[in-house]
Amino acid sequence: MDAGQLVLELRPAESRHYASWTERLATVARFSRPDEIHTLCEEAHALGARAVLAVVDPPIREALLAFQRWRDVPVWAVVPNMFAFIRDLTDLGMVGAARARFTRLGPAAMVRTGLGAVTRLGAIRRRDFATGTTLVAEMELAGLRGLRVSRLFLHPQVTEIALAGGVSAVFTALADRAERLGIEAGIVTHNPLRAAAVLGRELGRFAAVVAPCNPKGYKMFPDREACEELYRRDPGRFIASEVTAAGAIAPEAALTHVRALGLAGAVVEPRVVEQAFRATTRASAEA
Amino acid sequence: MSARPPLRAAVVGAGRMGMVHGHLLQVHPDAELVGLVDRDAGLAEHLASQGLRAPLYPSVDALYRATEPEAVFICTPTHTHLAVVRECLARPTHLFVEKPLATSLVDAEAILRLANDARVMHAAGYVYAHLPVVQAAHEIMAKGVLGDVLRFTAHAYVSEVFGPKQGWFFQKEQAGGGVVANMASHLLFILGWLFGPIRRVTASTRSHFSRVDDSAQVLFTFATGVSGLLDTSWSVPGTQMLDYGLTVDGRNGTLVLGRERILLHLLVPADGHAAGWSEIHASELPADTAFDVSPHIGGEAFYRQLQTFVDACRSGVLPFCSLAEACNTQRMIEAIYASAAAGTPVEA
Repeated sequence: MDAGQLVLELRPAESRHYASWTERLATVARFSRPDEIHTLCEEAHALGARAVLAVVDPPIREALLAFQRWRDVPVWAVVPNMFAFIRDLTDLGMVGAARARFTRLGPAAMVRTGLGAVTRLGAIRRRDFATGTTLVAEMELAGLRGLRVSRLFLHPQVTEIALAGGVSAVFTALADRAERLGIEAGIVTHNPLRAAAVLGRELGRFAAVVAPCNPKGYKMFPDREACEELYRRDPGRFIASEVTAAGAIAPEAALTHVRALGLAGAVVEPRVVEQAFRATTRASAEA
Repeated sequence: MSARPPLRAAVVGAGRMGMVHGHLLQVHPDAELVGLVDRDAGLAEHLASQGLRAPLYPSVDALYRATEPEAVFICTPTHTHLAVVRECLARPTHLFVEKPLATSLVDAEAILRLANDARVMHAAGYVYAHLPVVQAAHEIMAKGVLGDVLRFTAHAYVSEVFGPKQGWFFQKEQAGGGVVANMASHLLFILGWLFGPIRRVTASTRSHFSRVDDSAQVLFTFATGVSGLLDTSWSVPGTQMLDYGLTVDGRNGTLVLGRERILLHLLVPADGHAAGWSEIHASELPADTAFDVSPHIGGEAFYRQLQTFVDACRSGVLPFCSLAEACNTQRMIEAIYASAAAGTPVEA
């Protein structure tokens, strides 16, 4: 598989759509095991994936730690894990959700986070969106210790709300944070045109914008033509997601389309990796 | 963009859903957010920091004294809907009410009566009905592709409740119920939209962890004679967002509705659909969406829902998701709880 940079997309299997309830349970059960996720990472690597875009939960973290022992493949971290955060918000309240993340940190990160929070007490009291988002994202990022993270992204559920509100401060705070850490910042969105409009020249601070790109125009809002026009202006900044349009396009054809547009790369989800890996293995066996 | 001025709308209740609607009203080219209403004045800075630029008012009265919205989005806790609707209709204002409509059928019907008497446009927030695949399934059924519809099976699951829960959402008096009223109602709305009013319901509900129903099994008979089963739970593992499925059998075939596709099996061709198996994939359906506010939950359905409401307000024609249809859903919810409480079938 070749479409510029190939990136494996990992997130809790519970957060994906499936064709049936039975398929969902089988897949979720399988990917609750770190060794299965590790195998998937190896399959993706064999197909040419050289980065993993990940919303990290405990099994994914364990798998990535094992994977990175053998492979020099960086993680592009997507923080915070919004589904877990929303669940904690419901169960524990805002303070409880923050406390739960804080207590998971190591001593050094606790001190750093604590000091950071003290300097932003006013904004925290005002429930400032950018401050709250940044703080939770920082805590989750600190919780990823041990993983080699080369790029930092906000979770799309936060990104789209910030884009809707035109809150560029959320993104500049992310870019600042990434710079301080010596890594790059990126954006994952279904609304790349809005991102370009909200961020203007600041978009240049984000090394990668991961956004839908496929020949069916699936999830390309407001439409395929407008998105592709944006991508063509700066193809090296954009990485295609939703490349198979939820399974409607074969992986090879999907990546050919991305290649033709000259985008920097493509994000592929586990079922695409498994499908392509099986096909490659079958072809090798027949040859 | 349309040549008409945007629909001036306000949001009452600045919780999670209120914020989602507020953001959509700001990004939609045919709408304008003119105010937010919430008793918690301390939210003003929080909302502004999210980019919700409209002023926050402490009451509907204060909103009306300051501005003249053409429409209001009611996103307060369910048990307050009737009182808030009454307050909002002090002026003839188009109404969008988040689901479920009320905590009882009596209140739901009172809301509908108030809206009809005020001669305003109205809609309810059953957002999944606005997904392109659901709309395509409705069109197939409405055109009679399946022939006489006989039966269905359906499920609605989410992994949410695995221990005691706090907050109004888990108090029956305030939320109207548990998984049936607050999660399965999305699917109940779709069932009612597809099959019409119900005739009889046999149901059992259980509380696994919370003080409301955490799961339910329901046998429906609709007035048309269609019968079917619904299984629902928010205490099953495996899905962070609502996972629904619906299989409908008719004399000419079967339709399987999922999140990303419809599978169709027909005995004889109908309305351009071939005999045998075929698939209608979400990627083949027009999204008609300019902004995806929530890629993982709801997706483009939120934008389409707002578009439907704006179109109704501009055309003066009630949408398919009107409060009348939401009352039908409320009737189903109430019948399920009545049957579960009585331990017998209930005639609706």
